[in-house]
Amino acid sequence: MRNDHRVLDLEILAARIRRNVLEICRQRGGYAAQGVALSDISACLYFDELRPDNEGWYHDRFVLSNGHDAIMTYAALAESGHYTMEELRTYNADGTKVDQSPLEGQLGFEITAGSLGQGPSQAAGLAWGFRQQGMDQRVYCLFSDGELQEGNVWEGIMFAAHQKLDNLCFIVDNNDMQASGHAGDVMGVEPVDEKFTAFGFRARRISGTDMAELLDTFEEARNTKGKPFVMICDTRLWDGIDCLKKALPMAHYTAQSAIDWNKGIKEIETTLTRLEAKRDG
Amino acid sequence: MLLKGARSFDPAPFDEISYDLCRRRKDVVIMSADLSKYCQVVRVKNELPSQHLDVGMAEQNLLSVAAGVAKSGLIPVATCFACYITRRAYDQMMVCMGTGSGPGTNREAGPTNIAIGFTPGIANPARIHHQAAEDLGMVRAIPNATVIDPMDSTDFRAALDAAVDRPGLTYIRGHRGDTPRLLDSSEFSFEIGKTYLLRKGKGIGIIATGLGSQWALEASKLLSEQGVDHSLLHVPTIKPVNEDEIVDFAFAHNQIVTVENHQIVTGLGSLVAEIISDIGGGPRVKRFGLPNRWAPGGTMPYIRAQLGLDAKTLANNITERVR
Repeated sequence: MRNDHRVLDLEILAARIRRNVLEICRQRGGYAAQGVALSDISACLYFDELRPDNEGWYHDRFVLSNGHDAIMTYAALAESGHYTMEELRTYNADGTKVDQSPLEGQLGFEITAGSLGQGPSQAAGLAWGFRQQGMDQRVYCLFSDGELQEGNVWEGIMFAAHQKLDNLCFIVDNNDMQASGHAGDVMGVEPVDEKFTAFGFRARRISGTDMAELLDTFEEARNTKGKPFVMICDTRLWDGIDCLKKALPMAHYTAQSAIDWNKGIKEIETTLTRLEAKRDG
Repeated sequence: MLLKGARSFDPAPFDEISYDLCRRRKDVVIMSADLSKYCQVVRVKNELPSQHLDVGMAEQNLLSVAAGVAKSGLIPVATCFACYITRRAYDQMMVCMGTGSGPGTNREAGPTNIAIGFTPGIANPARIHHQAAEDLGMVRAIPNATVIDPMDSTDFRAALDAAVDRPGLTYIRGHRGDTPRLLDSSEFSFEIGKTYLLRKGKGIGIIATGLGSQWALEASKLLSEQGVDHSLLHVPTIKPVNEDEIVDFAFAHNQIVTVENHQIVTGLGSLVAEIISDIGGGPRVKRFGLPNRWAPGGTMPYIRAQLGLDAKTLANNITERVR
């Protein structure tokens, strides 16, 4: 049974993460549209699904495959206190440690992920290594539908299924948008869920923005035995901030001058106030 | 430093080396991409299956899965043919295995990632697609990488032992099939970066690596018989090399020649020329190895003869250089 308070708390966190994405990207531009759309997944991962360790970090591992979506991690780790907003406002600045697409070993990032399509295999290798050593860590890996055009991704998918890695959960950001336009126009990848099923995964297709559904899907992933799990999330850029979705529906990279950041922040603050009132009332 | 008497051979050096290593180190995983048998990984696969992982015929997967295995705390030793492990999976080698350790990354000492490329250069009879004549140059270009081209099974074993305790990416060229034991393990002690003087003389200084060191030894024998004085330096570590040792050797001779089982561009010859030209006023460097054109296929003696790398032609060409 879903606890309504838990859902509401995570929705509030997701709204705060959305606001952080805009506050960070408004400085010099960035991958704001993806960050906003992934905020619900991010809230669910960092504040519910990943188990904490005893050293203030996470016992389970999150592997980000599409490095430019690092903004989803930064914005969430600002809420957990692992980064300060002051640090994160240097995102995309010359000489900053807050890389738009970070290297392995930076807090929050397991792999160097700017060369797309290399996350699934590395996550699968990590999950295999944990299982091999009798360790109980779970591994989560997020990658985009555009990355499904890379052969290395399917090699990793095949490996994960062959090895029956049930400590592994893939999250596909199926936003139908890549550098040159809609994935469906550039090089169609559908039907994504059927492809994964054919490769030996348990697959579930969800919106990626409904908190109760996300919690339920992560639980299903955890309970899946004998095969890896994938959740295909049909997100759309700017999900959760309607005015920006309307203003710039095709943004892969959002230039600083491309949108009215204040308008977006105002809308998300209205959402936040409504959610907090619901919680407190 | 060299063994005396009749040559002995290891018929399957890596089969023993990998098995011994896995017996000693339970954190090592020997990885394959459907070429276990052809890289001579048999005992580990059959007798220590939990330390063997095959990812199928997918070299990019081999190195990206290996990088994940490394991040779990285990030590992956990814094995494949040199051509595929470098050319086909270069980006995975560089980005997945090569960016987690050392200057310019987020960690001083990150996970250990090892890749071994078998049948390098003309050690493979199938021309072009199976011959990696550029692997040393490719991996040498990766910052912080370690690159080793051992000359025999003793060197090979020692190089892998050193690599498992080394953070970051190490690429080793592997030997398979009848591999001579040339170095005397009671006198030879492998250190990454160190160079080894196999013959001390004057005038001509030969610098060689890998299989090239075997060829240079053969030529050296002929030169000695002809009364041509020379020295021979074996340089197993292409990166990071002890530049001072190369410089000291080079400036102690009138003429330097390099011998390698690799294109004469980007490999050992290039490395030596770069080091010497940076100082200036040094001896001329003549590079012997594979040319920057497609090498023929066939048996090793045939290919060597075609490229002027057989002992007799090599010795003659080396002598020509001092006239």
